[in-house]
Amino acid sequence: MASQEKITVYNLADLKNTSDDALTNYLTSLKFTQTHRLTDVRLALGYSAFALSAACFAWDYKFGFEQTKYCTAVAVAIYTILNSFLTFWIFYVEKGTVYEGTSPSGQTAIKVSTSTNKNDPVYRVTVEVKDKKSGKKEVIKLEKEFREWFDVAGRFVAVPFQSVLATGVPAIGEVDTKRVQGAAESKKNETVTAAYTPELLEALANAGVVGSAGESASGTDAKKGGKRRKA
Amino acid sequence: MLSALGNPRQAAAQIMNFGLILSTAFMMWKGLSVITDSPSPIVVVLSGSMEPAFQRGDLLLLWNRNFLEETAVGEIVVYNVQGKDIPIVHRIVRKFGTGDKAKLLTKGDNNNADDTELYAAGQDYLNRKDIIGSVVGYIPFVGYVTIMLSEHPWMKTVMLGIMGLVVVLQRE
Repeated sequence: MASQEKITVYNLADLKNTSDDALTNYLTSLKFTQTHRLTDVRLALGYSAFALSAACFAWDYKFGFEQTKYCTAVAVAIYTILNSFLTFWIFYVEKGTVYEGTSPSGQTAIKVSTSTNKNDPVYRVTVEVKDKKSGKKEVIKLEKEFREWFDVAGRFVAVPFQSVLATGVPAIGEVDTKRVQGAAESKKNETVTAAYTPELLEALANAGVVGSAGESASGTDAKKGGKRRKA
Repeated sequence: MLSALGNPRQAAAQIMNFGLILSTAFMMWKGLSVITDSPSPIVVVLSGSMEPAFQRGDLLLLWNRNFLEETAVGEIVVYNVQGKDIPIVHRIVRKFGTGDKAKLLTKGDNNNADDTELYAAGQDYLNRKDIIGSVVGYIPFVGYVTIMLSEHPWMKTVMLGIMGLVVVLQRE
C-alpha cells in the first residue's frame, strides 16, 4: 500500500466509487470474465444522440434555419426519444449495477449492484448469482460500513474488503478460498472473549478467594460487569 | 479520480456525460426555435432605442407564428437587416397591404426618425419574412451575460473549459 491514493472519508460518492472500482478489479483479478453489455448499450445510446445533435448543428450552420426547419424538428423529436430511453435504461435496467460477469469456471453468472443512502456510510451490495446449468437464481444482500476497509486517512485496504465479499458470496468464496473467513474467526473479530467466564468466577467465589459469600455475590457481579464493559 | 481514465469505457462514459449536457442544451434551443418558428427565439437587447420599454441587456422571448392574427401596427418585432446579423428590436408603425406581401415600416420608441436609414441600400420597407419574431415576453437584465460574452469572446472558452473539467473529473 505504498503509493496509495487517499480519498476524503466524508465524501460518500468517493467512498462508493472507490469501492465499486475495487470490486471490479478484485473480481477481474480472480479471473471472472466481465460482460460489458449494459455499459455498451448506454454508450451506444448516448453517442448516437450526441451524433444526431452534432449533425443537426452542422446542417443548421451550413444551410441556415429556414431550409432545415423540418429536418431539425424531426431531429429534435428523435433526440428526445433517444434521451428518454437512455434515462429509462440507466434508472430501470442498470439500476446501480457495477459488475456483470461469469465465474472462471463458466458455471455461474454473477451480477453485482451497489447503492448507498444519503449521509449513511453503509455500502449496500446486492449480488444476483445464477447457476447457468440449473438456472437457479439466488440473491444475496450485504450491508457493511465503509470503515471496515478504509483507514482513518482515507486509504483503501484491500484484504478486509475482499474477505467481506468472499465470505458473503459463496460464488466468490469458492474461487478465492484464502479470503473466506470462517464463522469462528469472524466472531472473534466482533467480540472480545472474556478472560473470566461466569462459571469460573462463581467457582472462585465459592472457594473463598474473593472474600465472604455475601460479598462475593455482588463481587462477582461487579467483576462480571467490569469485564462486560471492557468487552 | 484520474485513475478513472485508465479504463477506456469509463473515460468514454465521462466524456459522453459532458457531450450530452452540451447536446441537450443545443437541442432544447433548437426545439424552442422550431416551436416558435424563429431562427433565434431568445434575443438580447443591444441598444437603448426602445427605452423606457426595454433596456440594454434585457432578454426577449419571441414568437413568429401568426395563428390568430397577422403582425399588426403597434407590435414590437425583431428583425435582421438584410445581409447583417444584428437583431434590431423596434415597433411597427406603418403597414401597407396584407399577408406575406405586406410592407412594414418600423421605428424605435426612443429614436427620432424611423428605420428607413437602417435598412439596406434601396430598401424602403420590411417584408414579413425579414421579421424573426414578435416579442411576447421579457426578462430584464439577464441578457447582460450574453453581451459580456460577445464583447469578450475569451470568456466563452474559459467557461466551457471549466464546465468540461468539472464534469469529467466528478463522478457523482
